[in-house]
Amino acid sequence: MPVTEHQGSSSSPSTFSFGRSLLSLRRDHVAMPSGEEADLEAFQRHFAASLGELLPGEVEGGGGGGGGGGGGGGEEILSVAWIRRLLESFILCQEEFRVFVAQARRRGALPAAGEKLVVEFHERAVKALDVCNAARDGVDQVRRWERLADIAASVLLAPGEIHEGQLRRARKALSDLSVLLVDDTAASGSGGVASFLASHRNRSFGRARASPSRASLAGATSSSHFRSLSWSVSRAWSASRQLQAIGAGLAAPRAHEAGLAAPVYAMGCVLHLVAWALVAAVPCPDRSTALQAHHLPAAPARAAFPWAPPLLTLQERLAEEGKRKDRRNSCGLLKEIHVLEKSTQKLTDAIDAAPIPLFGDREADVREAAAELAAVCAAMRDGLEPLERQVREVFHRIVRSRVEGLDSSMHNAD
Amino acid sequence: MAEDGEEKLLATVQHIVKTLGRTDTMTEDILKVFSNYDGRLSLDKLYATRAAAAAAAVAAAGGAGAGEHSVPASPPMPPPPAVPPAVAAMPAVTSLERTVRTLDRQISQFVAMDRLIWADSADADAFLEAVDDLIGTVQELDAAGTNRGLLDRADELLSRCMARLEDEFRALIERPDDVAPPAPGGFASDESEEEDYDADDGYGDEPIPIAKPVSDFDVVIDALPPGSVSDVHQIARRMVDAGFGRECAEAYAAARRGFIDESVARLGIRARTIDEVHSLPWEELEFDIARWIPAFKMVFRILIPSERRLCDRVFDGLAPYGDLAFVAAVRTQALQLISFGDAVSAASRAPERLFRVIDMYEAVRDLLPDLDPVFADPYSAALRAEVSAVCNTLGSSIKGIFMELENLIRRDPARVSVPGGGIHPITRYVMNYLRAACGSRQTLEEVMEGDLGAVGGAAIAVDPDRPTSSLAVHIAWIMDVLHKNLETKSKIYRDPPLASIFLMNNGKYIIHKVNDSELGVLLGDEWMKQMMSRVRRWNLEYQRGAWAKVMSVLQTGGPGIGSLPAKALLQKLRMFNGYLEEICAIQSEWVIADEQLREDVRAAITDSVKPAYMGLVSRLKSSPEAAQDLFIKHSPEDVEARIQHLFEGVSKIEVSGGKMLLGETVWSSQI
Repeated sequence: MPVTEHQGSSSSPSTFSFGRSLLSLRRDHVAMPSGEEADLEAFQRHFAASLGELLPGEVEGGGGGGGGGGGGGGEEILSVAWIRRLLESFILCQEEFRVFVAQARRRGALPAAGEKLVVEFHERAVKALDVCNAARDGVDQVRRWERLADIAASVLLAPGEIHEGQLRRARKALSDLSVLLVDDTAASGSGGVASFLASHRNRSFGRARASPSRASLAGATSSSHFRSLSWSVSRAWSASRQLQAIGAGLAAPRAHEAGLAAPVYAMGCVLHLVAWALVAAVPCPDRSTALQAHHLPAAPARAAFPWAPPLLTLQERLAEEGKRKDRRNSCGLLKEIHVLEKSTQKLTDAIDAAPIPLFGDREADVREAAAELAAVCAAMRDGLEPLERQVREVFHRIVRSRVEGLDSSMHNAD
Repeated sequence: MAEDGEEKLLATVQHIVKTLGRTDTMTEDILKVFSNYDGRLSLDKLYATRAAAAAAAVAAAGGAGAGEHSVPASPPMPPPPAVPPAVAAMPAVTSLERTVRTLDRQISQFVAMDRLIWADSADADAFLEAVDDLIGTVQELDAAGTNRGLLDRADELLSRCMARLEDEFRALIERPDDVAPPAPGGFASDESEEEDYDADDGYGDEPIPIAKPVSDFDVVIDALPPGSVSDVHQIARRMVDAGFGRECAEAYAAARRGFIDESVARLGIRARTIDEVHSLPWEELEFDIARWIPAFKMVFRILIPSERRLCDRVFDGLAPYGDLAFVAAVRTQALQLISFGDAVSAASRAPERLFRVIDMYEAVRDLLPDLDPVFADPYSAALRAEVSAVCNTLGSSIKGIFMELENLIRRDPARVSVPGGGIHPITRYVMNYLRAACGSRQTLEEVMEGDLGAVGGAAIAVDPDRPTSSLAVHIAWIMDVLHKNLETKSKIYRDPPLASIFLMNNGKYIIHKVNDSELGVLLGDEWMKQMMSRVRRWNLEYQRGAWAKVMSVLQTGGPGIGSLPAKALLQKLRMFNGYLEEICAIQSEWVIADEQLREDVRAAITDSVKPAYMGLVSRLKSSPEAAQDLFIKHSPEDVEARIQHLFEGVSKIEVSGGKMLLGETVWSSQI
């Protein structure tokens, strides 16, 4: 079953730019001397190159692809753009893996033990589907934050002076946003920025809600008002447990294990990495436990595989990000979330500090904070929707490759 | 099971209609309907929360003084001329300033109210008028651009109005029953809305907010009474006019989400992770599917379209905000339902799952065209795409499951033979399976062709009833795989004639099942001819293998050749008797399941054996050397009778043997 088939029939407008590079990779395969050794080497080399391209700028180079480097490597780690490239790389690796397996099958070099390994990988990959769903919900939730934050920012950036009416409106939006942030942080199990906002809200947003009516009206409504998103994954689901399940039993093959052992292990590692990055990046249930434990699987020895060094560097960088003091209690390690939280806080402070009427430095402070918030909102508007679509693409690819794997192993048996 | 669900669903729909016709607290009734749909969810919780909410509302209303809010409801278009003394004292007061000041006073009173303004429709009207004036004033000030200070004041006032309006808006949506029933004259102002409800007037003069069910799912539920819809629309319009459309959309979604969540929860479908679905025993998953299908229809055919309609009314003429609000309200629950389809598609492909997955696929496919008007705007295009995608995924899952059957047949080991050469469980399973699958051949053909979803599924009518259709080709292929597997299985019989009997039995069963169903159309005449000739060949092989030595013993040579000595003839007779005993002992335990075939085989044996035997006996009798007291053990009729007792099978073997076989493979599953 050709991969393109689904793309053609799917009505979602998600087409990816790597189509061409995939073709050229395939051409590489054809040009190379055939045989398991060569295929394995090519697979590992491409795999290493894909991971290498994800490394933050300073380690640039990786696979040595000079010309194409212009677009790559520029994104900050855990930014929306970076996550998108991570997902793209995963899809690419998975495609390579598919080709590798198909070729091994064609050569008849896939014994029952090999088929078993492929099945094992698919089983592992299926566990990542729930992570995809949770991440999709998480991304949607972030988009909701963005909508509220953008109301606040755009009100304050409107031409003319900032007056009480605009401040009130911005405060209200920020207050609703903070409720969401608090709820979601609570859902993912940590305090931090959101709890700061929560305590802050009672103090400072009290003014916004000063009218006596609000208290009584709010009694019934506000508690349920901007309540946290209801996850489409079941409530008992835990990102932490899921990550553990994905990484379970993932162990480097011993030297004598030939054939599929190494590629399957490589795919398992990158799958786990991707799942971990998604969980870390966006809000999802029980996220903080996942980060604290940061269950990354037993790492391969640096020299064992060509792709081990970039993978290890990526893992280390991600773990570092998770441990950073200013990020530990965040709702998500996604760079844009961090900026959103920071500028929300900054704007809240600026508004609190601002006397009415606003003038001079105070007004400049508020405007500056609002501009920062507006900038990150714009970035989110541009980036989150494609990210969400890409998460879905990964989801469908995993399902399809599993189904396909079953088909091929079946025909192979003929 | 699916049909049962269907009936239940229809009954539920009827019930919605009936229930809504009887009472007036709609939200509650709708939730009740959704929960009645699933017996496991009790209503206690619902009543508990409602009671609490109502108590709170009563307390709030009680706290408010009765008379102090008598704001003039008369048209305040030109601000009241009675200028307060304080204002008069100020020198150059523009009329706009005066307007703002008056509005400030009016509005502050409303904003300070600690009960819902909309609890009193006169208050609501007055407040709205004040807001309209304020919006107009702000626009005027903005256009003039001369009095910045006054504009800021008006703007500030506007922001307070909007915050209050948002609260009222949410309260009206979340707890429409807490608001006093539509005040006198309330309906009069709703003239435009009412025509929607007047269509069926079977319930007296009370407007029944429900369309008559034209077909199964042509039901719309209205969680809000028409009066509330109108009120809420009035607020939405003011908020959008004042530039607070985004806040309004967010508030709307937040307010509706609770109802939607609860409605779906009451359908009794548990949110399952894909991991869970993956590891769930089939029986449980099947149960979940049986719940999911009607719930899916309920949500996508009734709940979501109703939400769309409500949203369209609330945001009537307020274009993009309604679409934004709708998607935000509905998205999570829609995705959750869809996600179960994904999960089932990604799960095991055991053949017995085919029919339930087909049910799911058909449920999704059939509603795709109806979703177009509901998800027409660009904001909900992604949701529409998700439904298409899950339809595709289910389709390829069906394809995969169907192919998995082939795989299972091929891999089925030939370990234990069926006693007596009877019909193998795999033959029964596969044939019954294919026959059942034929019932869904339209759908199967659709997914085999792979052109599903892209055009909504229904557009291309594929004709599976031709031997060249993808489905027919695939079924022919499965039959071929089955045939090969049976041939392999026949090899484990040590007795070659028994192997032939085994093949014959299974072949005959296959022919019977094919002729008995649409499979015949799919496989075509050629296939059938080939199959019949195979059975004939096996029959011949059996005759030859089992009776060749008997027939050779009965040969007495051609009439031209000199006759055999009586001694030799006697020897032949003795040998014949021995063979007959032996064959009867063994072959009476063999089985030919098909009665006609059994008769035919016996007749064929009789036809060749009996005349030859009679020939031998008469030779012997006419032989000059034959002893006078020649004893012939079997008369030709005896021989025929013995033959008639062949292939009766011995029940004890069949039973125990059957068990042994059935226990170990998938073929025992019932379809």
